[in-house]
This record gives sequence, C-alpha cells and structure tokens, in this order.
Amino acid sequence: MAQLKRKILIIGLDSAPAEIVIDRRAEFPVLRGLIEGGFHGTMRSSDPPITIPAWMVMTTGKDPGRLGLYGFRHRTGYSYDKMWIATAQAFKERAIWDVVGDHGGQSCLVSIPPSYPPRKVPGHLISCFITPDSEKEYTYPAGLRQEIESRFGPYAFDVVFRTENRDVILKEIYDMTAKRFEVLHYLMTTKPWNLFMFVEIGVDRVQHAFWKYMDTKHRLYQRGNRYENVILDYYRFLDRKIGELLAVAGEETIVLVVSDHGAKRMKGAFCINDWLIEEGDLVLKEIPKRGASIEKTAVDWPKTKAWGWGGYYARLFLNVEGREPQGVIKPEDYEKERDRLTERLKAIRGPRGEAWETRVIKPNEYFDEVRGDYPDLMVYFDDLYWRSAGTLGYGTRYLLENDTGPDDAVHAQEGMYILYDPEEKVSRRKKIDILDVAPTVLHALGLPVPSDMKGKIFNG
Amino acid sequence: MDKEFTTISIPTSLVKQIEESIQGTDVSSVSSYIAKIVREALSKKDAEPDVFSKEDEEKVKERLKALGYID
Repeated sequence: MAQLKRKILIIGLDSAPAEIVIDRRAEFPVLRGLIEGGFHGTMRSSDPPITIPAWMVMTTGKDPGRLGLYGFRHRTGYSYDKMWIATAQAFKERAIWDVVGDHGGQSCLVSIPPSYPPRKVPGHLISCFITPDSEKEYTYPAGLRQEIESRFGPYAFDVVFRTENRDVILKEIYDMTAKRFEVLHYLMTTKPWNLFMFVEIGVDRVQHAFWKYMDTKHRLYQRGNRYENVILDYYRFLDRKIGELLAVAGEETIVLVVSDHGAKRMKGAFCINDWLIEEGDLVLKEIPKRGASIEKTAVDWPKTKAWGWGGYYARLFLNVEGREPQGVIKPEDYEKERDRLTERLKAIRGPRGEAWETRVIKPNEYFDEVRGDYPDLMVYFDDLYWRSAGTLGYGTRYLLENDTGPDDAVHAQEGMYILYDPEEKVSRRKKIDILDVAPTVLHALGLPVPSDMKGKIFNG
Repeated sequence: MDKEFTTISIPTSLVKQIEESIQGTDVSSVSSYIAKIVREALSKKDAEPDVFSKEDEEKVKERLKALGYID
C-alpha cells in the first residue's frame, strides 16, 4: 500500500479570480510568497462554472456529467414544476479525502459545498452554506459541533443578502471569516490530518456585494466612492489570516490555494423566458405580472416548445412528446428543433446591437457520460457577462440589474490556483483545468491516482 | 445546570455507536452527550425528515435566490 508521505493544506477561495490574487500579488505578501515559489495561474472551471458542482468536480476529479450535477437545483425528471436542491447526498463519487482515508490518512474538511447533511469521512467535517441553520447537526463526528460551539459559539455558514445596507453585509462577512479562521486554527492544532481543506465563501460574497465599487469598467462605478477598496482590503485581511494559518500548518506542508471559478462585472440579466415568448417558443395563458416565476405562471403547454431557468447561466428545456407531460416536439424532430434554437440563441445581440460571445452547450454531446437530470441546453450569455433571468413579464429582454436583487458580479469561466511545495520550489505560470486538481493533489501526497480521473498531474 | 443525576439503561450497541460518534472530539462522556441530545430533542416541536424539511428547503431556496444562484 502506498504511504502517505506528505501533508497538504488546500485553501479554497470561492470565486477568486487570477486578476486579483495573481495579478495584484504585490499587495498580498503571503500569497505573493507562495506564487513566487510555486506553480500558479488560471484554472479553467467546470461547465457550468458554478459553486455546485465546481468544488465537487475539483475534489472528485469527475466532470458534472459524470457527477450528474449541473447547478444548485435540478428539474425532477421531466416534470414542469418539480425541482430538487443538490445536497451532499447527491454526490456519490469518491473524493480525494476518501482516497486519503483508504491509505490510513485523516482529513479536516471545513465548509466545502455541498457538505450538508454532514457525512461520514475519515477525519472531521463541518458542513457548508447550504446548511439551513446552526440548530441542525452540521459536523462529523456529530460531537464536533458541541466542541466547536463551546469554544466559538454557533458556526457562521454564510451572510444574509437581504439587506441593501452594504456596511451591515461587510461587517457580517468579516465576522464570519474571522470566526472561521479561529475554528480552522483550532482544528489544525488539535486534530490529526494529512489533508486539510476549507472553503472561504466570504470571497464570493464580498465580490457580489462590492464589485461595482471597485471595477472601473462597471457601468455603475464611481471614482472615489467610499467602498472602492473594500474588496482588496478583504483580500489583504485574508492574506494575513492565511499567513497565521501557514505558521501552524508546518513548514513541510504543501499548500494549494484555489478557487472554484472566477468573477467579473455583471453587465445585466437576459430575460430568457420573455425572449422565448417573443420568439413564439413559449406561450402563456395569461399576461404575467412583472417578475413572475415560470413555475407560478399559467403556461399553454400544448403550444409551447421550450422554456428556461435563470441563474449565472441559463438552462433550457424542450417540450418533447412522450417525455414531458404535454410534450409537442416530435421525438424525430428533437435534434432539428434543438439546433434551430441553438442558432437563434447564438445570434442574440446586446441592447445596443452589440455582438455577444454566447456559448451553447448540449450536455448529452458535451460530456462523455451524462447522468441525472440534465437540461436540453446550457447557455452562457455573452461569455457569462449577462446572467439569465428566469422570471418573466418585464416587457423587455434586458434588465440592467439582477432579477432577484442587486448583484454587481457574475461568474467567470477561469478561476485561479497556486501550488506551493516547500520541497520543490519553482516559480512557474501555467494554465490548468479543474479536473487536474484531484490527481495532482493525490500525486503530491504520494498516493496512486484512480484510473477514472481524467485530469493530468500538472506539476509532474 | 442540574446537580442531581440518576442512572438509565440503554442498549450497549447504542452506547458503542455514540462512542464512535464522539471519538476524537472533546465530548467528555457518553452520558453528557446523551443529555445534550435529549435536551435538544425535547425542545424541538416537529420531527425532521432526512435532509430538508419543507421549511428548511424554502429557507435554503430563498437564500440561493438572494445569492443569485437561482431565480
């Protein structure tokens, strides 16, 4: 049996782009030290580049088709209105910590989405932001919760985004992150581990709430605004916290800093269902109220060919005879109809007639294997600069703000990584793929890479 | 905190399971762990299903909406 020769600390920064962490490293002394002694660069995220499934793609080395996970929610079978939310129970594939466990190793896993409900792992686990509240069992072993709460109070999984008050959100983000690092410090010094991994969700939240104050290209940016430095200040705070953690992680420990996807300014939201109505693909029985959800709108299904869901990317579903309850597209016309829709989606232009870089994915052709409840099409409007609004009744295709509330940033396909091995210092910029992470981590620990992981060992 | 204690009987197989779930943590004893979960159970109004109750699911959905993941 292979021996666990090394220890690794994986620092997950949800949504962190290379444009900040790598390109502005002069402002982050700890991260700069890792960058200048290790492999670093952009990491192409999964399709879709969304928190769920991206972290699980990274830690299992399996793509979303194989995992059968295409986002936070999924349609239940071919129903029109039933959906389910992906939890930790939806992930059946083995992750890097299972392989570490096979070889007698232990892991500490903190807030890696999705990890609620907590499952049995070789080591210790605290669940993530899909935990309904801190009254639930959220640790493995179950007793760890009491151990943590007796020292640090209730664990903070996330911040509340219902308020427009940016100062309140910012304080909550700092409080959450500070507490998380206290817990991490405690676990790191009291529990056995070969693999220590955590995800800091505060990075994603601070970017969504403050991107327009920082990005000079954002349409709402105002020079000299009071929040201009908020995002970079938060990264500087993280840099210090990471430095404190590295001081107790041990000098021999390999360090991987990695994000699940990147972030960039939001240009607006494209109203996919209003567009489908204009195109004649979606027919309603009523005039919808502004912002109505498709699930609560009376759709004339026998006249409808397609409908869509919103989020950072769009999912489109075709209404197929014999598949959907009131399907109309004949099975033999499915590919023709799907191609016709694909061409029309790609031809969509922006509000000023500008050309868009829209990407349309057919999951069953794109992935080697497709499991679970996959959509007929996945669409990234203008390379994700435009999110998709699934709500409808706006009387326009274009909204300049998020349909479900203000949101300054969207996801970017490229995330970032830094791999620092104190025993093999290099300084090399290299592009990697999210599927390369799991085999590289196992190899770094001296463990065999399972043959069904398709990624490459990128530092080999 | 209560100062008086009494003895109760539960199957030894259950004790073994509890020992497993507190192993490696600083929970001092099976007794203190049982007292904690019984107190929690008594304070809960409704029994919970495996993953999300209807209420939990709505809570999580609302949060995911506010975060822009779904609409």
